[in-house]
Amino acid sequence: MALKDILTPFTAWTNVFKPVVTIKDPFNDRPGAERYRGFHFNDTSKCIGCGSCEAICENEAIDLVPVEGIETKDGDSGLRPRVDYGRCCWCALCVDVCTTASLRLTNEYTWVTENPEDLRYTPGVDVKPWDNNELGWKKPEPNYHFFGQKRVSMPELHPEQRDKSFIEIVKGYSKEQAILEADRCVECGICIATCPAHMGIPDYIRAIREDNIEEGFKILYDTNPLPEICGRICTHKCETVCSVGNLGEALSIRWLKRYIADQVESEDYKRILQSDGIANNGKKVAVVGSGPAGLSAAHYLALMGYSVTIYEQFSQSGGMMRYGIPEYRLPYDQIDKDVNYILSLGVKIIYNTNVGKDISLSELKSKYDAVFAGTGLHLGRSTRIPGTDHKHVYQSIDLLNKITEGKEIHVAENIVVIGGGNVAMDITRSLARLQNIKYGKVSIIATSLEDENSMPADREEVVEAREEMATINPGWGPKEILIEDGNIKGLRVVKCLSIFDEEGRFNPKFDESNTNFFKADMIVESIGQGMDIEYISEDIKKDLEINNRGRIVVDELFQSGAKWLFIGGDIIQGPDVIHGIANGHKAAVGIDKYLNTNI
Amino acid sequence: MNDIIQDITTRFSVTDIINKRENLTFVTCRKENTISLITHLRDREKFTHLVLLTAVDWIEDNLFQLTYILNNPTKKIDIAIRTMIPRDNPVMESAHRLWEQVATYQRELKEMFGIEFPDSPRLNEPFILEGWNEIPPYRRDFDTKKYSTETYFPRIGRGTNDPEEYMKSKLYPNDPTK
Amino acid sequence: MEKIKNIFNWEPDRSLYPEKDENGNLIVDLSSQKFTKVWHGPNHPGTTGNMAIELTLSGDEVVEAKTHVGYLHRGFEKLMERRLYIQCFPTCVRMCVAEPDYNEYLLARSVEELDNLEIPETAKWLRTLVLEMARLQTLLRTVPGQAGTLSLGMGVQWGVYLRDLVLDLFEELTGGRVYHMYIIPGGVRGLLPDGFKKRMEDVLLKIEDFIVRIDNLIFKNILFKKRTIGIGHIPAEWIDKYGVVGPNARAAGFKRDVRKDYPYLVYDQLDFDIATLTDSDVYARSLIRRQDLITTIDLIRQIMAKMPNDGDIKSPTPNVLHWKIPKGEVYVRSESSRGEYGFYTVSDGSEYPRRINLRGPSYTHAVVLLEKLLINANIADVHSIMVSLQTCPPEIER
Ligand code: SF4
Ligand code: SF4
Ligand code: SF4
Repeated sequence: MALKDILTPFTAWTNVFKPVVTIKDPFNDRPGAERYRGFHFNDTSKCIGCGSCEAICENEAIDLVPVEGIETKDGDSGLRPRVDYGRCCWCALCVDVCTTASLRLTNEYTWVTENPEDLRYTPGVDVKPWDNNELGWKKPEPNYHFFGQKRVSMPELHPEQRDKSFIEIVKGYSKEQAILEADRCVECGICIATCPAHMGIPDYIRAIREDNIEEGFKILYDTNPLPEICGRICTHKCETVCSVGNLGEALSIRWLKRYIADQVESEDYKRILQSDGIANNGKKVAVVGSGPAGLSAAHYLALMGYSVTIYEQFSQSGGMMRYGIPEYRLPYDQIDKDVNYILSLGVKIIYNTNVGKDISLSELKSKYDAVFAGTGLHLGRSTRIPGTDHKHVYQSIDLLNKITEGKEIHVAENIVVIGGGNVAMDITRSLARLQNIKYGKVSIIATSLEDENSMPADREEVVEAREEMATINPGWGPKEILIEDGNIKGLRVVKCLSIFDEEGRFNPKFDESNTNFFKADMIVESIGQGMDIEYISEDIKKDLEINNRGRIVVDELFQSGAKWLFIGGDIIQGPDVIHGIANGHKAAVGIDKYLNTNI
Repeated sequence: MNDIIQDITTRFSVTDIINKRENLTFVTCRKENTISLITHLRDREKFTHLVLLTAVDWIEDNLFQLTYILNNPTKKIDIAIRTMIPRDNPVMESAHRLWEQVATYQRELKEMFGIEFPDSPRLNEPFILEGWNEIPPYRRDFDTKKYSTETYFPRIGRGTNDPEEYMKSKLYPNDPTK
Repeated sequence: MEKIKNIFNWEPDRSLYPEKDENGNLIVDLSSQKFTKVWHGPNHPGTTGNMAIELTLSGDEVVEAKTHVGYLHRGFEKLMERRLYIQCFPTCVRMCVAEPDYNEYLLARSVEELDNLEIPETAKWLRTLVLEMARLQTLLRTVPGQAGTLSLGMGVQWGVYLRDLVLDLFEELTGGRVYHMYIIPGGVRGLLPDGFKKRMEDVLLKIEDFIVRIDNLIFKNILFKKRTIGIGHIPAEWIDKYGVVGPNARAAGFKRDVRKDYPYLVYDQLDFDIATLTDSDVYARSLIRRQDLITTIDLIRQIMAKMPNDGDIKSPTPNVLHWKIPKGEVYVRSESSRGEYGFYTVSDGSEYPRRINLRGPSYTHAVVLLEKLLINANIADVHSIMVSLQTCPPEIER
């Protein structure tokens, strides 16, 4: 140790001449960094109240609370997260998981308040000085996600493999694919409200994840006795509201449902669903029509112990599901799989029996304790433009019926289909296949009033139709079918500008100067179907209430003015399969209630 | 590493050998052999550094797992020795004579899991807890959430809603099928 | 002259007290009134956290020392058992306040190793950067902090200022100053902000200047030398016997460093050396930490120069809200500023960890080693010896 060791420490005195480094608060503001994790802000107009932020918060700092002025609606629970700063640790996991990226942390970090209760507030609702701070923690970039954003793609037949046949296009998920897809669900339950049958979607998706097919299968049957069918052709409204769809692609809810149903063999149904040995309660119910509503009502009634008999006008069950939807979308054996299980519960179907013609409704009334009618929409509507009475102008629904029955139909070389809904796509694609078989080429045009973006058909239907070489040319109003020498030459159309007027009534506007001509020697109209309630005789009709739009009024249990008659399905709500199923289920509960309490 | 494992497999009949990494192997050893195995590894195989000693509660199997992780600083390899002891009579031979700090680990295991190590110095002196009257808190059957709810008071005014239930109450409150 | 020199060098005859029995064992009889019991702590002495040492003194000499912990126990290991793996990530950081990043890294690494998950290259570099920054900011407190224990607080203040500058950089990169919550299972939570490297270099230059200044203030200070050289000597044979790791082992001549011995992240792509000394006293340990500080600065510069500037920061993982980790167990380690810091993680195949156990260096350093080291120490050196081991109570009791 030298003298140096005594002297060198004194060099520290040079610091006396250095500038002071402390920041004088509050005279000098020191904003948090650009990524600082400070107080929360939530863009409540984007937030959908899915509760993922609440689920991930390890400190239970978040509650979901109703907020005045925010309505509960499809895809939005109306709830918003409220943060308790007595618990929050500013980890920002809630931000990273947020399904809408509405939630973020601002870079504000100082807040003085005398009332500890202030430190619990609903970000974005309770106004705070930092609400407009743009800086702060946001969901990180790039490719930073807490759950998969992309759908597991569904294996399908290539257009060349499918365009000459009616075999099913969609192959269905494998187990690995289904589990991967199911993994993306955040279990928020937002989709349940939108599903007409309010199926337990997150629950059966969890069952897939846990590879517990039987559990998932039971959950399906709680609300839906036609899972093979719905798993293929449901309109999947639920997917339009799926939380995950806000930033990524919505869950493939429909394909997951199909996955479960596909895994279960027919002979295991009864064991899994524990539906053996249901005691008969001695009461009898008649169901008119074996479409989705009728089958659903029959299923739930049978489970409650009723003897159910279905009257079906065609030679096979399923109604529109079999006679409207082409086989490449919904193979008949899958319909049979669902229906056979319902039959195994003791439900009887009397085929080729048209209620109204072969047996009257009053007769049913006298023979049974109650009647459920789910007769659907089977009358094709016509555009009534000049030329529609030509013999080569068809209704799509009639052609689809015939295809199902295996009957020969007229297939011309050039066809035009009028209509932009799913049924229009069904007939377009069916005819395209038949043209392909007959002529080796496709020449079919589908046209609709609605433009490309507002066509009611499912997007994938349009895409696939085009893949199969059909032309989809939307946005035209049909004016006239040109007929020369008794032969159809084509369809003249004018540009459609808008469909609905200011009041939202159907009142299309056209640009008469912008016309087009679609060459054809056969025209198919597919602009919707109407109901045929001729079978309800006058003496019964007088008890029914019919509203100004021509629809029969039923209560929430689908009971009509005639107490013994319950009506549901497309004639009440829809048209789609899942509404029919939900209607049938509720009507079953209604019938049970009616027969037990006589309301 | 493989030679060592082979050697101890025959000598100490260890089982469930899992090579987690090329330098980390887990083995399971019977309770009676464990301390001699550890002594062997320390003195013969130069696993001179004790990384840690801790327990895992397998309540469903009625077992406590003790894990001794040993490190050979020269060869830079680790062996983790797992030993199962009955949960209803959790006694294990003390290893404090091999490394003095083991006494600290054992004190903690006594306190947190209720595992006995006869002869271990200061075993019954409280280590972390003070005036603890409940079951040893790191056992699986001690419910921290329940304890804190009962011991402390909840903040008034907290309460949450489940989106699914809430939407049902708003949008389809009277659905008869639900 | 000789006489005056003798006055300065006067030492009491320590052979008489405390009394020993015929076997050479101490006779500690508190009722004899020859002993004093002093509690050192559990106040928070500044950089080390709350911990108490129960000292028995004979005059000014420690004859018995017992470490008491429990003042910071929050049961994190247990709390994590009922949290999803992703929820453990903000929880585990609290097991070491000074360097939370090691917890984040080890949790992430455990999960990734159990689930066979690779992380993107960029994320590896960013993780390494953050871990070195964590070491940097700790050492900025610890190195001058050693002098602080001897009441030379000036260096501590300089260090705290510079540490704040590092925390500013942390804030820019991670959004947090103390708990960074940046290393997440699967990757990290952000790329370097624009201009970060430049600002980092500015801070590094200031730290280099600081090292010169503390050399003058502390390491070339006769008082510091007098009070630390030869004090708190850890014999080489204690290293394995008491589980001594990190700088404390390196100061005793053991060239052990997890970054070199079990390279993780990108350490195998970095060029650095591990300093060792043999004196193994408080002074040597301080010097080792000073050297570590220099190494860290160098490592950060290398990382800044070599790291990719963009690319993915996180691998796709299963949905974190129900991420199940395959059944199994693993031990992963890293080199914290205090030495080997590891997580032993057991998964039972569910979405919650079965057990996560932290192996912190202080578990042995602050208990069995410190209790031994303090025997015969002067009461005035107790604090200095404790800090020279860089004790950190939260990692003892978690
Ligand atoms: S995760 Fe996002 S969208 Fe969902 S409730 Fe929270 S803030 Fe709203
Ligand atoms: S920042 Fe973290 S602790 Fe705070 S509310 Fe969000 S998830 Fe919970
Ligand atoms: S499917 Fe979508 S909306 Fe439904 S629970 Fe899962 S994430 Fe939520």
